[in-house]
Amino acid sequence: MSNLTLTEKSTAKIAPAPADADAWTIMDPVRGRIRIAMTLAVSSAVLGLATMGFLALTVRDLLESPGAWPWSAMLGALICTVSAYLLRLAAFNESHFAAFRLETLLRSDLSRHLAQVPMGYIQAVGAGALAKVMHDDVKALHVFVADSTPLHARAYAVPAITFLVLLTLDWRLALAAAAVLALGFGVMILAMRNRAEMVQLYNEARERVGTAVVDFVQAMPVVRTFDSGTATFGRYRNALREYLEVLTRWYREAGFPMRFSMAVLNPMPTLAVLLWLGAWLTWRDSLPFAQWLAVLLIGTGMAEAMMPLIALKHLVDKTQLSIARIQEVLSAPVLPEPDRERMPTDASVRFESVGFRYGEMDGDALSDISFAVAPGSVVALVGPSGAGKSTVAKLIPRFWDVSTGRILVGGVDVREMSTETLMSQVAFVFQDTFLFSGSIADNIRLGLPDAGMDAVSAAAGAAQAHDFIMSLPQGYDTQVGERGLFLSGGQRQRITIARAILQDRPILVLDEATAYADPENEAALVTALSELMRSKTVIMVAHRLATIRDADQILVFEHGRLVETGRHETLLARAGIYARLWRKYEQAQDWALCGRHPTCEQPQPESR
Amino acid sequence: MSAALESTPRITSWRETYRQLLRAAGAHAASLRTSLIALALAAVVQGLALASIVPLFSSIQTATNTGDILTWLVIMTLLMVLATLLRWRAQNFEFNGELAAVNHTLRTRLGEQLRRMPLERLQDKRTGEMTELLLGNVDENLNYSLMIIDLIMVAVLTPLATALALLAVDWRLGLALLLIFPIIVPLYRWRRPAFSRDKRSLAEAHAGTSADILEYTQGLPALRASRAAGEKAERLHTGFEELERIQAVSHRKSAGPNGVVSGVVEVGLLLILASGVAWVVSGTLNVAVLAAVFVIVARFSEPLSTFVMYTSMLELIEAALERIEALLAIPPLPQIEPCARPDHHEVHFEHVTFRYAQADTPSLRDFSATLPARGLTALVGPSGSGKTTLARLLMRHADPQEGYVAIGGVDVRAIRPDELNAMISVVFQDVYLFDDTVLANIRMARPEATDTEVEAAARAAHCLDFIGRLPMGWHTRLGDIGSRLSGGERQRVSIARALLKDAPIVILDEPTAALDTESEVAVQRAIDALVRDKTVIVIAHRLSTIAGADRILVIEDGRLVEQGRHDELLARAGRYRASWDAQLAVKAWRPGTADADVRA
Repeated sequence: MSNLTLTEKSTAKIAPAPADADAWTIMDPVRGRIRIAMTLAVSSAVLGLATMGFLALTVRDLLESPGAWPWSAMLGALICTVSAYLLRLAAFNESHFAAFRLETLLRSDLSRHLAQVPMGYIQAVGAGALAKVMHDDVKALHVFVADSTPLHARAYAVPAITFLVLLTLDWRLALAAAAVLALGFGVMILAMRNRAEMVQLYNEARERVGTAVVDFVQAMPVVRTFDSGTATFGRYRNALREYLEVLTRWYREAGFPMRFSMAVLNPMPTLAVLLWLGAWLTWRDSLPFAQWLAVLLIGTGMAEAMMPLIALKHLVDKTQLSIARIQEVLSAPVLPEPDRERMPTDASVRFESVGFRYGEMDGDALSDISFAVAPGSVVALVGPSGAGKSTVAKLIPRFWDVSTGRILVGGVDVREMSTETLMSQVAFVFQDTFLFSGSIADNIRLGLPDAGMDAVSAAAGAAQAHDFIMSLPQGYDTQVGERGLFLSGGQRQRITIARAILQDRPILVLDEATAYADPENEAALVTALSELMRSKTVIMVAHRLATIRDADQILVFEHGRLVETGRHETLLARAGIYARLWRKYEQAQDWALCGRHPTCEQPQPESR
Repeated sequence: MSAALESTPRITSWRETYRQLLRAAGAHAASLRTSLIALALAAVVQGLALASIVPLFSSIQTATNTGDILTWLVIMTLLMVLATLLRWRAQNFEFNGELAAVNHTLRTRLGEQLRRMPLERLQDKRTGEMTELLLGNVDENLNYSLMIIDLIMVAVLTPLATALALLAVDWRLGLALLLIFPIIVPLYRWRRPAFSRDKRSLAEAHAGTSADILEYTQGLPALRASRAAGEKAERLHTGFEELERIQAVSHRKSAGPNGVVSGVVEVGLLLILASGVAWVVSGTLNVAVLAAVFVIVARFSEPLSTFVMYTSMLELIEAALERIEALLAIPPLPQIEPCARPDHHEVHFEHVTFRYAQADTPSLRDFSATLPARGLTALVGPSGSGKTTLARLLMRHADPQEGYVAIGGVDVRAIRPDELNAMISVVFQDVYLFDDTVLANIRMARPEATDTEVEAAARAAHCLDFIGRLPMGWHTRLGDIGSRLSGGERQRVSIARALLKDAPIVILDEPTAALDTESEVAVQRAIDALVRDKTVIVIAHRLSTIAGADRILVIEDGRLVEQGRHDELLARAGRYRASWDAQLAVKAWRPGTADADVRA
C-alpha cells in the first residue's frame, strides 16, 4: 500500500508538503516550551558573539598596555563562553523534552480522534496505515522539533544581530560581509526556482519506485511462478529509470547555482573579503586593529549560523510528509454526537428508507432500504457479494452515517443516541477476530473490567471455549494476542463470542461469523453462536445459506436494494433471486474435484 | 516498526565504512576515491589558508612593507581558491550524475538479488523493511555521505593542518592545538558505545509502543463496540507515558557525553587562548600572532561543536551500508550439477524434515509420500499442520533440512530454477494482481501467447463476461479499479493466468475459501478447466470437495498420519473420519432452532 497518502489506496497522489507555516502548527501543543528553547538558543548565540567581542578587547588591551594581564576582558570571555555553553545545553534539552512530550500528546490525540471518527474511515485507510501514522510519522517529527528548532532560531537571529553589531563596528566591512551573503543567497534562490515542481516530480518518481518494490516483494511468490520476474522486474527497472532521469534533470538544472551558492556561503569567502578590505582599511589607518579583529571574529559567523540548518534540511524535508499525514488523520471529521440524547425503549431495529453512498462521487451503495426487526427475532441478510448486506450490518453500529432515511434502534434514531448508549444496546461479532495482548480472561471481559471470574468462565462455557482454555498451560491467565499464544481461528472466534455473551446486549449483529473456521472448530462455533443468539434480536450476514434456513425473516439484497423478503420456504417457492442463490449454493457444496478414479463423476460444467 | 532496523548498531571502524562505501560504488569506486581524496585535500588546504593569517597579521602589525601584506593576502586567497576548486572537483561525483548512477546500479542489483534469493528468506522480511532498504537506505548510503564526510574532514583535518603549520611559527601554540583537536576523535569513540546502548533500549521501547498502537488500530471495531476505546484505552496511554520516560532517560544519558565532548573542546580553546595571552604578557609571543590564532580558533569551534551531530548521521550511513551488504550477501539456493530434466511429473517427498528459520519446531517431520502424476492428491489437516509448507518446498521457496523433494524422480535441486517455475502453476487463496492491464496480468504467465490464446484462457476461466463490463475492457488497468473486482473475479483472473501457463503441475491452495456462493460456483468451473490432465495438488478444508481425489494425505503436526482414498479413510475410522463427521454435523445446523444439538 502507498505510504504517502492515506485515503485513496490505489490512486495514490502525493499529499502536497505543507508550507513551512503549516508544518509549525504541529508543534502547537508544546509551543511554549519550543519558544523557551528558541529563546535559550538565541541567547546562547548572542553570548557567543559577546565572547568574540571580549577576545578582541583582550587583544586591544594587550596592544595598549603590553606586559599587563587583560584581566577584565579575559574574565568576560570566560563568563560568556561558559554561559553560552550552558544555555546551549539548556536549549538542546528543552527542545528535546518538548519533542518527547509532543510525541505523547500527538499519539494520545490521534488515539482519541480515532475513537470518534466513523469506523468506515478507519477501514478505508487501514489499521496498518493508521498505526504507521501514530507511530512512525509521529516519531519522524523528532528531528524537526528537537534538533531543528534551536538551529532555526539561531539561523534567523544570528545573522541579523551580527549585521547590527558589524554596522556599529565598521559600516563598510558590514556591507561587504552582507554583500557576500546576498550573492550566495541570490544564487541559491535561483537554484531553488523550480524546486516545488522538482520536489513534486521527485516524490512521484520515488513513489513509483516504492510501489514497484512493494509489488516486487509482496508478489514474489506469484512473480516467481508466473514470469520468473521478467515483467515485474521490468516495471521496477522502468520506475528506477524514471527516477534516475528526474534526478539527472534536477542536477543539470540546479547543479551549478547550487554548488556555487554552497561555495560562497562557506565562511571562507566572507573571511577573505573581510581580510582584503580590512587590511586595506587598516593600512590606510582608517580602522583600528582591534576593531578589525572584532569584525573578523564575528563577521564570518553569519554564514556559519545557517549551515547546520541547511545540512539538516533534507531531514526536515522528510518530516513534511509525516506532518501532512498526521494532520490529515487529525482533520478527519468525527461522528457527530447528539446534544440531548434519547434512550431506546426495546430491542427492535428498523430501517426507514435508508440510502447510503460511501463518498460524494460514488454511486448508491444502498437505496431506499426499509425493514423492521421485532425484538427477539432472527433476521438474515443474504445476496451476492457487493449487494450491500455487509453495509447494512455496519450502518447499525454507525461505521458510517446514512446518507438519507434513518435507522432506529429501540425506536430511537441511532444519531440521537450517544455512542455509549448505542454500544450498550448492540453487540457485534465480525469475521476478523480481535484479541489484544493480555490474558484470555481480560480479553473476555473487555469493556467490563469489573466482571468476576465466575461470569467470565460461565460465558466461556456457553461459548464452547471453557474446555480448551482449561487445557492451556495457565488456563484463563494464558497470554494471547500478537505477542502471545497461537490460537486457531475457530478458538479465537469462540473467545470473541464469549466476550459478546458476557456483554449480554439485547441486539446482536453477526457478520460472517463462521467464515474462517476449520471443519472441527466449526461445529463448536455453531454451538457457541446458538448460545449467544438465545433470546436476542439477531441480524446476521451469511454467505453460507444453510446457516440461515430457519431465520424468522430473510432479506435478499441485490445491487444495493432490498429485493425479496420472507422465510426460506416462501422465498424458494417464489423462484426469484433467493431461489437462484440457493441453487448455486447447493451446487457449490457438491463440487468435487475428480481424480482418475472411475466411480468419481465429473460434474458437467453448465454451458453458458 | 523499526526494531529490526535500529537494534544494536554494530560499531564499524571508519576504515571498514570506507571500504563498504567503495564496494557500494561498484564501477564508480575509483571516481569516488578521487572525490574523497579531493575532499581531504580541500580540508588540508583550507587549514593552510587559515594558517597564513598568522604571517599576514604579523606583517600588518610591523607595517614595514605593503609587499609582505599583499604577498600573504594573495597566498591566503590562492589557498582558499584551491580549497574551493578541490571541493568543487569532489562534488563532480554528485553533480555529474555519477552518484545517481551508483544508486541506480545498486538498486538494480538489489532488485536482482530479490529475484534470486530464497523466497523463504525474503518472506521473513516485512515489506516495509524492504521498501525502506531499497529506497531510503540506498539514498542514505551515498547521497549524504559526501556532505557528511566533507563536514567531518573540515572538523578534523583542517585544525590538524593549521596546527602543523603553526608549529613552524610558534611550536608552543602548534603543540597546544595539536593536543586539543585530535582528542575529539577518541572522545567520540568513547561516547559512542553509550549511545548505542541507549539506542537499543529506546528501539525496544519504540517497538513495544508500535505493537501497542497496531493492536489498538486493528482492534478499534472491537474496542469501540466494547466501549474501551479512546480515553479508556489505559494500557495504550500508559505505554505512551512510559515511552516518553525512556526517551527522557536515554536523552539525558546521551546528552551527558555529548556535552562533555563539546565542553572539553570549549575549555581547551579557552586554555590555548589563555596561554597565548600569558606568552604575550611575558613577551615571548607577538600579539599579532595571538590575534591571528583567535581568528583561526573562532573558525574551528563551530565545526567541532557540531561534529557530534554529523557523526550520528554517519552512523545512519554505516547502518544503511551494512543492511545493503547483508541483503546482497544472502546466497541463492544451491543447485545440484549436472542439471536434469524430469520426463514425467510424479511428485515425491522423501523423508522430508523442514523447519522455518524463525521457528522453534519443525513444520514437517520425516515426511514421505508420493503424489501420482496426472492424478489428484488432496492435502488435509488442521491449519498449521504443514500442508502449505509442502507446496512451498515443492516450489523451492526453501530447501528441507533433511530429505528431498523430487519431480519425476529428479531432485528439485537439480532442476534449473526457471524450468522448475515453468513446471508449476499455483492458485493461491489471496490473489495478487499487478497495477497493469487485465491483459498484461493474464499474459504475464506466457508473454509470447497470442491474443487468441489469452482470450481462450480467459474464456475457460469464466472471465470474459466481467472483462466486457470493465470501462476499458482488456486494457483496463487493475491498479485503478482493483478494489472494484470482486474476490471471485480476481480469483478467476489468476486462474486464467494459470490456464495460459498450462504447466503440468497445478497447486490449488484453498482457492475458494474466501469467496461468496455465486463467485464460488464460477471459480469452481474455472478450476475444473484448469486441472484436466494435470498433476494436481489441492489443499481444501471442505472435505466434500476432495472426496474424489486419487489420494488423500492427512497431515497433522507436520507428519503424515493417514493416506488413502476417501472410502478407505472413512472405513479406517481415524482422523479423517472424525473431520468428515464434524462437517456433516455443521451442514445440518439450524440456527433458528437455537437449542438444536449440532453434534447429534
